[in-house]
Amino acid sequence: MEFMKLAFNNLLRHKVRSILTLVGIASSVAVLFSIISFNRGFERGLTEEINKTGLHFMIVPAGCPHEVASLVLHGAVTPKFIKSDIIDEIKGIPDVAFASPMLITQLPNRAKDRLDLVHGLEMSHVTAIKTTWKLDGTVPTTADGVIIGSAVADHDGVKVGDKVQYGERDFTISAIVKQTGSQDDAFIYMPIMALQEILEKTDGLTAIGVKVSRPERIEEITEALSMKVPGIQIVTMNEVMRSLASLANSAKILSLSIAVIAVLISAVGVMNSILMAVFERTQEIGMMRAIGASRLDIFRIIIKETVLLTSVAGIVGIVLSTIAAGIIEGFVRSVMPYVPSGKMIQFDPWLAVLCVVFSLVIGVLSGGYPAWKASKINPIEAIKG
Amino acid sequence: MIELHGIEKEYIRGSEKVHALRGIDLSIESGELIAIVGPSGSGKTTMLHILGCLDQPSRGVMKIDGVEVENLPESKLVQIRRDKIGFVFQQFYLIPGLTVFENVTLPLLFGRKKINKKKIMSLLELVGLSNRQEHKPNQLSGGEMQRVAIARAMVNDPEVIFADEPTGNLDTENSEKIFDLLKSLHSSGLTIVMVTHNNDLAGRAERIISLKDGKVQTVQ
Repeated sequence: MEFMKLAFNNLLRHKVRSILTLVGIASSVAVLFSIISFNRGFERGLTEEINKTGLHFMIVPAGCPHEVASLVLHGAVTPKFIKSDIIDEIKGIPDVAFASPMLITQLPNRAKDRLDLVHGLEMSHVTAIKTTWKLDGTVPTTADGVIIGSAVADHDGVKVGDKVQYGERDFTISAIVKQTGSQDDAFIYMPIMALQEILEKTDGLTAIGVKVSRPERIEEITEALSMKVPGIQIVTMNEVMRSLASLANSAKILSLSIAVIAVLISAVGVMNSILMAVFERTQEIGMMRAIGASRLDIFRIIIKETVLLTSVAGIVGIVLSTIAAGIIEGFVRSVMPYVPSGKMIQFDPWLAVLCVVFSLVIGVLSGGYPAWKASKINPIEAIKG
Repeated sequence: MIELHGIEKEYIRGSEKVHALRGIDLSIESGELIAIVGPSGSGKTTMLHILGCLDQPSRGVMKIDGVEVENLPESKLVQIRRDKIGFVFQQFYLIPGLTVFENVTLPLLFGRKKINKKKIMSLLELVGLSNRQEHKPNQLSGGEMQRVAIARAMVNDPEVIFADEPTGNLDTENSEKIFDLLKSLHSSGLTIVMVTHNNDLAGRAERIISLKDGKVQTVQ
């Protein structure tokens, strides 16, 4: 027989109590594991998504950088506009590869009795800007062709070739974007000229995306631009990324603190449960001391019980969180201000090992006190007059 | 084998100072079968604590095999308990969930000794439980549990067995069986010291030490 077997046997003696304690630790480790996985996936996804936009910086009306950030990636309706004629000035600056105008707004869809999110853009730039898109159909070449996101298409049950009406104009759906998992799915993409005409804002833009031919010169280019054009704000993709990351950071810190607190609470639960078991076994521990167990032996038995319990719980937690990754991801997506497209939670074996080691440490910490208490039990407890 | 000279034991219970042993002089020879008797509060249990190296006297000298033990540190006392002493308790204290075989080997775990299966089986045979080695304590009767406990006390080849009311939780028939078992161990040369309330059993010991108010009243 070994100490480990004795510890395991002791846990089995109170199955319900051990299982409940295990569930507590397992669920908090599951939450912790998911959140860390999610955060990692979030940062990875963000970088990938920014890199895929195919743009180096955005020109927007002077204002809040956070607005800009969400605008850059997935469009947002802002009440401010910049004049479209500055496009020519931008194009005049050396090393600018192209400047793509964007106009984002809501338009009434009378047939469906709702407001649609409409993104006006230069259709000839679509393949350069939206590098990740997969299309059913082709990019429209006429002024009355639109591309619609998969969520809109699914919801309305429309297909390529169907008509939609905005203002007094009829548009033909010439392509549907296959599901991206991002906010792109909810947009209608329209030639920018057509949108400007509907809005009667022929010179208004929400933003201008700029790609340069020599990225190492971005700083000089943006400097030159801000000198030349007043009333604009230039946001590079790095700044966008930082801005989004800082937005997400508060949610990340909050969620991590909750997870850590959950782990601490369950560690107190473990301590309580093991302490209870020690008190119940006072006489038995006294007996073991009487028949030759040293204080250290008793300490070892109790600490092994705790570590066994929390490590198994850690493994169970990781299995649980891997199984429930989809649900957890959906939940986190609903509470985070911005989430990149694609699958966020990916199983990372190193992180899993780290979480199990963490639960092991929690076991040592929460088992330390009960084990010390147990080691102090006097052997005379076995023989009481 | 064991000598006590002027052993006293005091302890504090609540705010009260209890003088449990008031000068015990006693010597126990190797191979004796001794019964310690006395009313509640006479000091029997305290005496067993001290004899069994579970506790230390407040004053006096105690020698086991010529070695003074009253000032030894706990780590040395553990060693003495492990190597020289076997304990049998009134409540048996078998570990639930472990088999009879595993319960018997428990002291070996603490002594970091290898399990000699043949030896364990011969101990189980000695106590009449060789066919129950895979049973769990909850499948045994009280008498059987105490026999497992006796096998456990024997596993380290002790010089002496201290039994605290070994038949206190058993009916007459089982008490007889347990006493007969202890007696047979004694006849094979083992020293046995038991605390008992059972005058009938005590009367069949070689020597009866009767305690009263922390002192040896009579030795028969």
